[in-house]
Amino acid sequence: MTAYIVRRLAFALFLVVAVSSASLVLAEIAPGDASLARLGPTASRQAMERARERYGLNRPLAVQYGDWLLHVLRLDFGTSMLYDRPVSELIPERAANTAILAITALVFATFVGLPLGVVTGTRRGGLLTNAIRGGSIVLLSMPPLLTSLFLVFLAARTGWLPIGGMRSATTAGGGVLDVLQHLLVPAAAIGLPLAAMFERLQSQAIAETIAEPFVIATLARGVPRRRVIWRDALKASLRPVAAVYGLVVGTLLSGSFAVEVITAWPGIGRLMLDALSARDVYLVAGCAGVGSVFLACATLLSDVALAYVDPRVRE
Amino acid sequence: MSVRSDPLSFNRLQSGDRTTELCAILTQAKLVRINKVTQEVEPALAESWTVDADHRRYTLKLRDVRFSDDHPFTADDVVFTFAALYDKKNDSVLADSMTVNGKPLTVAAVDAHTVTITFPSPYGPGVRILDNVPILPKHKLDAAESAGTFAKAWTVATPTADLAGAGPFVLTSYAPGQRLVFDRNPHYWRTSASGEHLPYLDRITVEMIPDQNAEMLRIEGGQLDVMNDDVTAEAYAAVKQAANQGRVQMLDVGSAMQADSYWFNLKPGAFANDPRASWIQRDELRHAISMAVDRKTFADTVFLGAADPVYGPVSPSNRTWYWTGTPTTPHDPKAAKALLATIGLVDRNNDGVLVDAQGKPARFSILVQTGRPRLERAASVIADELKRIGLTVDIVTLEGNAVIGKILSGQYDSVYFAPTMSDIDPATNLDFWLSSGGFHLWNPSQKTPSTPWEKQIDDLMRRQSAVSDPAERKRLFDEVQKIFIEHDPIVYFAARHIYVAVSSRVTTVIPAVDLFPVMWAADQIAVKH
Repeated sequence: MTAYIVRRLAFALFLVVAVSSASLVLAEIAPGDASLARLGPTASRQAMERARERYGLNRPLAVQYGDWLLHVLRLDFGTSMLYDRPVSELIPERAANTAILAITALVFATFVGLPLGVVTGTRRGGLLTNAIRGGSIVLLSMPPLLTSLFLVFLAARTGWLPIGGMRSATTAGGGVLDVLQHLLVPAAAIGLPLAAMFERLQSQAIAETIAEPFVIATLARGVPRRRVIWRDALKASLRPVAAVYGLVVGTLLSGSFAVEVITAWPGIGRLMLDALSARDVYLVAGCAGVGSVFLACATLLSDVALAYVDPRVRE
Repeated sequence: MSVRSDPLSFNRLQSGDRTTELCAILTQAKLVRINKVTQEVEPALAESWTVDADHRRYTLKLRDVRFSDDHPFTADDVVFTFAALYDKKNDSVLADSMTVNGKPLTVAAVDAHTVTITFPSPYGPGVRILDNVPILPKHKLDAAESAGTFAKAWTVATPTADLAGAGPFVLTSYAPGQRLVFDRNPHYWRTSASGEHLPYLDRITVEMIPDQNAEMLRIEGGQLDVMNDDVTAEAYAAVKQAANQGRVQMLDVGSAMQADSYWFNLKPGAFANDPRASWIQRDELRHAISMAVDRKTFADTVFLGAADPVYGPVSPSNRTWYWTGTPTTPHDPKAAKALLATIGLVDRNNDGVLVDAQGKPARFSILVQTGRPRLERAASVIADELKRIGLTVDIVTLEGNAVIGKILSGQYDSVYFAPTMSDIDPATNLDFWLSSGGFHLWNPSQKTPSTPWEKQIDDLMRRQSAVSDPAERKRLFDEVQKIFIEHDPIVYFAARHIYVAVSSRVTTVIPAVDLFPVMWAADQIAVKH
């Protein structure tokens, strides 16, 4: 098991370096550069050249990349050209905000999607089952962008929830309750489609599991059906869902980028969007690196969990 | 109110982004202010001024006022601001716009409340140029300037308590990615016409809302009072409906001072190894395009009817500088085709496609910024209209930074773009008019004018910017417009009508055609309690 975890950690490290490097290189070779965003299109050519020199953008790409990599080894992720501040100062707060949003959505999706999947997978039909299935299909077919716009529209029209942001301007210090209220719309926008996906996966998995001989045998021994489903069949059917958990976190992050923009959630997605449009290459690389750290951690946890329940995976 | 993104700095001298500029409008004051409604220069921190007979030296009498931290404002602050602005170490984003013929202004303190500003040569706009520069408090930034770290002073990480200004508000809180909170500056010096102390508002909260749809929903839901921008054509119907229901107010500000621009890459040699070289940079092509595009269809499709046709570089709404002799280009596809035939583009086999002398289709691309529906629609309309006369047009969409990069590097055929001029006075936009200017869009930063007509414009604009007689300046600029229209380096089609939306609780607002249509006069905004 230890060797397996070490192998996975090495791969995670490679993933983070590869994603950051690719982001930096791609942002660098795209037309335009950070001096334009900083100075504006009306700046003189001389001012633009001076800015390019100050940011080191006039050096060959290989030199810039090599220099950045050397600094990264010393845990120096460079200085944002846009904000004139170290990347390591800009990212943590935004990354924490995205993590709050992503974890809330994941927890919501797990605790709503899985039980609903059990319900629909163990009943042959009926109003409730059909309603849940129908709802899931609708939610699955809606991208998070549309879901968030709809929820923002609902919040605006009803006035029940804050429309955007993370804290109210009037709440001194930003209480937990205030953050939770602001969290509802973006977390639901990401969590609802995810819950629908879990429901579909779990529904199919448990439907297959209850047809397994060990379930039939348990039922034949007179153990109540409800107990068999929620205790034995559920545990056995979780493997397919656990296997996709790591990938789900990847889609969760890319989905959260769009939702952060619509709901004005101050996460890393918005920071990366600003950095990308300004060609702030070091900030882009930093944001992409953090995204890949999230993904690597989630994949690692998912793999370890899967390896724990299924020894075949370790081989 | 709302903005799209975080400020890049709290130091306006070091950053030119929109949110930084808004922060400067709210927290800093200038020596003079351009009234965006009348376009006249008004006293601000300078309460009056006189000019010497040579029209170069201005003596400005300063108000006896205090910064927001109760420190007195004096001539030293003015001298300090200009010294920091021109300090090469700082590389200020405003430095180039504050030079005349490439030379800086000389600023000197006469006494605590008098300064002299000497222009390196006679300059037509005079003190109007001073509207560009917010006056910074020396006592807060002198140490950074002396240490050579001014460029890194007042970053967005600076505690708000360390900031001060002479503007109507003071920044009291900044939550990155969320909001900026500005409270009333108790030491603000302006009063209303009825003698009341301004600003009317106690607090302005600026929320960061990156998405315009979400912004619309917020203003309709009563959670926002002022929008970041004017109402777009696609949002017009929704805002109008909300206004009819009393949920928002929609204010008609008037026609934009400048139309969006369509131009070709006229850099000599840009098409050197390209078979299109014989026709793509010719005046006739641009004249034909101007005739082929029906400006009414253009206005109806791109702006949903809320636009006025424009035929020259100055929109008719710019009453001060518009040349009344501007010819109205007729919509005449037949004449356009005939004109294209003179440069060898003809339909040789009656398939509706114009080809050049080698039989290759007359084809070019229009570069346009993605995510700007107005610009994308405009490029589509131009492409459709040109297809009718046999020109084949490909639309290439790229995001903003990439478009500007392509323009500056000269890697494009033609581009449809929305450049912004800093002021309506042409002499303040010499970087656009002069062939040596970096903003001379169709062929920037020329060492010597590449065409005789550009040389003519250079000469006229140099004279126009140097004389102080308004009538003579107007006459010279009329000449410039005439030459410009004869060659159409930029083709203009329509200037949009500008509407702004404010919430129903806003009682006083002075909207104007400006980059900040409402916030330019933030000190006079009032709301119902």
